Amino acid sequence: MAKKKIVEMLIESATMELADTKTIRLKWPEDYDVSFKTGQFITLYWPDSPKYKRAYSLSSCALDQGYFEVTVKRDGKMGTRIVDWAKEGDSLYVIPPTGRFLPVYEPEKHLICIAGGSGVTPFRGFAREATRRGLPTRLTVLYSVRTTRDIIFDTEFRELESQNPHFKFRVTCTRLSEEDPWSGRRGRIDTPWIREQVTDLPNAVFYACGPTALVEGTERLVIDEMGLSRDQIRLEKWG
Amino acid sequence: MSANIPNELRYAKSHEWIRIDESVATVGISDHAQAELTELVFVELPEVGREVEQEEACAVVESVKTASDIYAPLSGTIVAVNEPVAENAGLVNDEPYKGGWLFEIKISDPDELSGLLTAEQYLESISG
Ligand SMILES: Cc1cc2nc3c(=O)[nH]c(=O)nc-3n(C[C@H](O)[C@H](O)[C@H](O)COP(=O)(O)OP(=O)(O)OC[C@H]3O[C@@H](n4cnc5c(N)ncnc54)[C@H](O)[C@@H]3O)c2cc1C
Repeated sequence: MAKKKIVEMLIESATMELADTKTIRLKWPEDYDVSFKTGQFITLYWPDSPKYKRAYSLSSCALDQGYFEVTVKRDGKMGTRIVDWAKEGDSLYVIPPTGRFLPVYEPEKHLICIAGGSGVTPFRGFAREATRRGLPTRLTVLYSVRTTRDIIFDTEFRELESQNPHFKFRVTCTRLSEEDPWSGRRGRIDTPWIREQVTDLPNAVFYACGPTALVEGTERLVIDEMGLSRDQIRLEKWG
Repeated sequence: MSANIPNELRYAKSHEWIRIDESVATVGISDHAQAELTELVFVELPEVGREVEQEEACAVVESVKTASDIYAPLSGTIVAVNEPVAENAGLVNDEPYKGGWLFEIKISDPDELSGLLTAEQYLESISG
């Protein structure tokens, strides 16, 4: 197996997804030899500050070759620097993908992906891979955002939903004004809503990703309130 | 302090542990160090055959937040490195004293051994 290497990568494109969220595409150098899985994260640092590193989940999937995409929210030092300053042609150092937040694409499983805000990033990778491979694994993203302006990858998730009969994308808004025309669900992610989405709990595998509070909240919901076992939940804490 | 600090090992102030087997020392980082560093994502190991001086930086561990040099706790020659951690740095987090060892040194100056910390002294150095 090739030895893992930290390499400098050029930003091939930088796209604003929302007012405070940006996707950067990092181009692999020639002969970059990497093996990785959907759901892993890379660790980045700027050439001028090699000691300051931060991890970002891949929002692209393992079938996307030639580049990595990460989607970053303007938050904290690294998050702000990337969202406000990273542009096409800049370069960042990239520590190869690692992590165990991996989708179990078994045919009978139902992956329930619980996300709040920017925690949805790896689930785009999950849904892309399942859809492109035409997998029978059921995949449901339950996504909590403040308002309809905060939905990351809305268009792509809806497209994937139309292409993949086993994929569902469900959004709930927590801070919409009463007058807002949104006809979808409102309020937090709670047990009744989860139960509505899952017909056979024994085959469900829960994933929760993002800021620690959301991830721990989901853990409590799934383990304490719904009584599922530890091996039915995978967590990726960001902070 | 809940860190696991096995009694049978020796330690350096810079958080390496050392297991002595005749003239060969196996080196890794302590449970305390891996916990402070948080999730490790990359380990750069020295070349086998490299001569190192005591306290010379000879490996690097990178976490999701920072990077840290690893120092040779004893002078000598690197005679083995733990390739699996170069593939999966998380081993150092999971098993700092077992599967997460980093390298082995053939000791050139046995007098240096007496300067290493005992488990008790190491515990004291991190409790400060
Ligand atoms: C495995 C993993 C995957 C991740 N994936 C992603 C991802 O896909 N997308 C993403 O956007 N992030 C992701 N993160 C988080 C990311 O690594 C950074 O932590 C994030 O971008 C914030 O940057 P920072 O750590 O430099 O912030 P810091 O400057 O260290 O700040 C950390 C937090 O503290 C707050 N803070 C800082 N200073 C103060 C202050 N003085 N008072 C009050 N609050 C303060 C900041 O607002 C921020 O919320 C991931 C983290 C991990 C561990």
